[in-house]
Order: sequence, then structure tokens, then C-alpha cells
Amino acid sequence: MMSRLRLLLPLAWRNLWRNPRRTVITILVVGVGLWSILSFAVLLEAWSRSSRDTTLKLTTGQIEIHAQGYLDDPTVAHRMAPPSGDLEQLLKSSEFQTFASRVRVGAIVQSEYKTLPVTLIGASPDAERKVSVIPSQVRDGRYLSGADDTGIVLGRNLVRRLKTRVGKRVVLMVQAADGHLAERAFEVVGVFAAPEQTENEFAFAGIKTVQTLTGIADGISEVVAYSGSDDALPELVARLRKAAPGLDIQSWATIAPLEYAVSTLFNQFILMWLWTMFALMAIGIVNTQLMAVFERTREFGLLQALGMRPRLVLFEVALESTLLIGVGVALGVVLALLSVQAFPNGLDLGFLGRGAEMVGAGHILYLHVNPADFALYSLLVWVMSVLATLWPARRASKVSPVEAMARAAI
Amino acid sequence: MKTAHWLMAISLIWCSASIASAAPPDAEALLRAAYDNWRANSSTTEVAMTVHRPDWQRSLRMKAWTRGDDDALVRFVAPAQDAGNATLKLGDDTWVFNPKLNQVIKLPASMMEQSWMGSDFSYNDLSKANDLLTKYTHRLIDTKTDNGHTIYTIEAIPKPGAPVVWGKQVVKVRDDGVLLAETYFDQDMKPVREMTTEQVGPVGGRAYPKVMTMRPSDEPGKWTRIETLSGEFDKSEPAYLFTLSNLQNPRN
Repeated sequence: MMSRLRLLLPLAWRNLWRNPRRTVITILVVGVGLWSILSFAVLLEAWSRSSRDTTLKLTTGQIEIHAQGYLDDPTVAHRMAPPSGDLEQLLKSSEFQTFASRVRVGAIVQSEYKTLPVTLIGASPDAERKVSVIPSQVRDGRYLSGADDTGIVLGRNLVRRLKTRVGKRVVLMVQAADGHLAERAFEVVGVFAAPEQTENEFAFAGIKTVQTLTGIADGISEVVAYSGSDDALPELVARLRKAAPGLDIQSWATIAPLEYAVSTLFNQFILMWLWTMFALMAIGIVNTQLMAVFERTREFGLLQALGMRPRLVLFEVALESTLLIGVGVALGVVLALLSVQAFPNGLDLGFLGRGAEMVGAGHILYLHVNPADFALYSLLVWVMSVLATLWPARRASKVSPVEAMARAAI
Repeated sequence: MKTAHWLMAISLIWCSASIASAAPPDAEALLRAAYDNWRANSSTTEVAMTVHRPDWQRSLRMKAWTRGDDDALVRFVAPAQDAGNATLKLGDDTWVFNPKLNQVIKLPASMMEQSWMGSDFSYNDLSKANDLLTKYTHRLIDTKTDNGHTIYTIEAIPKPGAPVVWGKQVVKVRDDGVLLAETYFDQDMKPVREMTTEQVGPVGGRAYPKVMTMRPSDEPGKWTRIETLSGEFDKSEPAYLFTLSNLQNPRN
């Protein structure tokens, strides 16, 4: 076998370059096809990672703990006590990176000119800084200074719509625990930047201030926790549920199903793209190889007349394809690596403006080569393409020497 | 030395006496008087409301009852399309009744800023009618005489921490308690909207701001006019008037 390979390998390699133009075209087809698959994989992975981070780091978190019924009716009536006992121990264990407690209620914010609905979040600034990027996105003024801060931090777009600004007063109305309409004046102390929807939706005030306003003592609406990787989430959720059986504990896959779907959809999308590109590539490759085999009918006839077994002919043609596609795959990988290298500081989506926000991505996508994905996709394309060229190879081996020689004589 | 002391003492007494004699009336008392004139202990009025927009205008008629500072019932009587709609305010709570739905709704916070029957007043304006008395500090800034009446201009600044969005209000009150103008300023002290009394006339035996118009400052061509057609004050009212059952099934 090895001796045959040693014989056939140079033969196959030389055969490739008997028609350089055809070979180069095939290599380009494979190379560009694989390049597009790999680049898309890198881009979409960066996108889905960015989308996940944007979702989790705004207000969602990886795991959310609420009182039963809160998710259906997010009012102070469905409040919970701050984490204690087993739950607190588990949250403070090394399984979790960080967690934060919040009061989160629907509210009405009122300026001199406009009244708009918002979600009022009572936050503890120190804990909040660890679970959310919003505290670091304050563009004007400052973030909350403590749990009893009486100021309010609003989104940039909300401030514009209310025609208010840092230093001015707004009035918030919320449903208090006893059912009456509680209202309170807050000074706007900071303005944060975030995706537009978040800017419009959320207002942040000190947790103690909001607890006093709604009359819920030390009650809270939710605990947001981070554990790091998504893989351990189902198990952690199960453990939390065991530690606090009365509470509603969900991972972000349940709470933000759309964002979760976006991040998983991209994986499917990459595979779909792979199959589409592969189908196109296969048509090109099979076509050129088939043409090559037809052109070389006489040669195959001669080889067989000289005593070469049909199986060996098949092997020889398959070897040619393997080399040909191998070169193309190598080209594709190199191109893809170069493309990623071209954006060492990430791909800035600023030119899309706020359009990118609609699909939940951040402004800059950090491209990152995943060697396992690269190897998998390259190998897949290589093997599948070689399998596809078995058909032309089989045709070559089926050539009858007599007919082949006779046809060539015409 | 002694004469100097005497002089000082005399001048001090004289000064304080002159201040006392020219002492302006207390701003808060003036406002209180205006509110008392407007609503008294109880009032029953018939009011026509005209809502004007650049391309349309419509008129509504209503009957309104008030009790003290906090309770009010307003029921629309015309046009037929709006007749029966009613709003009841009891303390801090407001309910609306819609005859077409035959349903009473307690106004949630989100509806408070909605326009009241399409006018330039919001439910919030109705429910916070006496904020001016309770949530502001008052200062008399101007006094002048016009047509034999003294007109006081009072500046009202929100008390610290009061849940009020306005920067200030400036109110003009006549010496007989007729409210002449009320201007709302934003926190940059720019006028946002203004209510002016356009006609003072006798209603229920008292001088009354008969025609008042509310105008948003930045939207010319938009205004809402309230004309009080008739009224009775300080009459005893049946206890059932300000109840939810009366809101839904009127007995008056």
C-alpha cells in the first residue's frame, strides 16, 4: 500500500498541474468557500458573545431569583426577603462570582413636560457595579453613591424625552405595598448610555430610598447572580431551588428567551451556511473533476491497458482530489486567519449606528479564532469534498481500455 | 448719649409701626381665600368646557360637586356622546366611570397624566388641585391696583422634597379672592403653561372667575376654556354624593 502511495502521490501531484488553470480555479473555489465559512463562524460567534454579554450585563444576569408570581406581575406585592440561610451561603460560595439584590417595580416618571412609564430599580451601587455595566456607562453626572442615595440615574434618551437634565427634579409615582399611589421627587444625578431600549426603560435609585417609598421595609424584588460559564447553569439553578424551595429561580435562558435564542441561533446559522457553501463548492469541484476525467479517458484506458487495476485508478483520481482540495482548504484557513488578524482591536460596528443594537450586539465585536471550530469546519469541508469527487473517480475507473483507446483513435 | 438712645428707640417704634400698618397680607392667606372663593366648603357648579385645537374645537358641559379641599365629583351632561362620563376624586384616589363600559376604573399611576376628556388638563391636574396650598411656600412679590381692586401676585416655590415637577408657580389673586392667573414654570423658570381668568362675574352670589382659559406656552392655537355657568356654594350636600355607587348609578 505504502509503495503504491509512493508511486501514486507524485503522479497525482503532477497530474494536478497538467491543467494549471483548472486546478487554480478549483483551489480558489474551495479556498474562498472555506474562508467565507470560517470568517462567518468567527463573526457570528463574536456577535453572539457580544449579544449575550450585552443582555446579561445590562440588567438580566445569568440567574435571577424572584418571589413566586413576580415574573407574571412585577409589583411590590410579589416581594421576597433578602437572601439568608442556605441561599445566602450558596450565593456567597465560590460557585458564584457575584450577586446583587434589587427592588424592581413599574413606575411613572414625570417632568414638567412629559410623563413616561419606566422600570424603577432600587440598587445597591457597590453590588450593582459587579453585575451590570450601566454604573460604568454614566455619561453625565454620577452614578448612585449609596443604598440610601436620594438621586436618580436615568437613560440618555429618557432624559431627552423628558426634557430634563442632571440637577433637575423629576417626580416618580409607584404603587406602594399598601396599594396607594406613592410619589416622591428625585433629583436627576446621572445619565447613563446603553442600548436605546434600556435607556428608555430603566431608572436607578438607591435601594433603601425605593424600599421606603414603596413601604416594603427590607423586602426586595430580585436577586441577580453570576456564575461565569453558561454550562453549569442548569445544575446551579437546581441547587439554588433546593436551597430556597419557595422562590422562583430561573436562568437567563428562561428570562430572556429571545436573547438566548439569538446566541444559540448563530451556531445553527453557521452550520446552515456551511452546508450551503459546501453544496456550491461540491457542484464546482465535481464538475471540474468530471470534466478532467472525461478529457483523460484515453489516459485511463492506457493505464489500464498497461495493467493498472481499476481500483488503483480510482485511488489515483481520489488522491488527486484530496491534494487539490487540501491546497484549497489550506488557502481558506490562511485567508480566514489573515482576515481575523486584520481587526486586532475588534470590529467597530459604529457605522451601523444604533441598528446593531436592535439585534442586541454591542458596538465593537471582538473577533476571536476558535482553533477547534477551525479544525472541525476545515476537516469537514475537506472530507466531504473528497467524498463528492469519488463519483468522477469511479467513472475514471470504469473506463474500458478497449473503448477508450478506440475512441481516442477517432 | 441719652438723647441718642431715645431717638433710636423712638425711630425703632416708629419703623415697626409703619411696617405694621403697611404690612402686606399674608400670601398664604390670600391663596387660601382664593381657594375658598373658588370652592368654598362645598360647591355645585355647572360648567362648559371648550377644547380648542388648531383644526378643531369642541364643547362639553358638566356638573361638578366639591366637598372640602379633597373630594370632587364631575359628571358630563353634554354632548350626548360624552354624557354620563364621570370622575370621582376622594382624597388622593381618583376613579372614572364610563357609561358605555358601565365600569368604574380606579386610575392607575400610568393614566394620571392622560388628558382629561381631551382637554389641556390632565387627571393629575384634577387630583392635585390643591397642591398649590400644601406643597409650596408662598411669597407676595407684587401688589398693584386696578379698577378699584388690589391685585396680588404671589410666587409659589415647591417645598424642598415635595413631589412637584414645576420650578415655581406665579398666581395672581384679587383682593376679593378671585383667582386671576396661574402660570406654571419649569425648573429653568421658563413658563410652560398659563391659566388666565378672562371674565369675572357673579356666580352664586359671589365674584367668581367665570371664564378661565388654560394655554400651553409652546403650542399656540391650543387652549381649553372653562366657563362657569351657574353655581351654588356652601349648601349642604347629601352624603351619598361622593361614593362609588353614586359614581356608577347617579342619584343626582
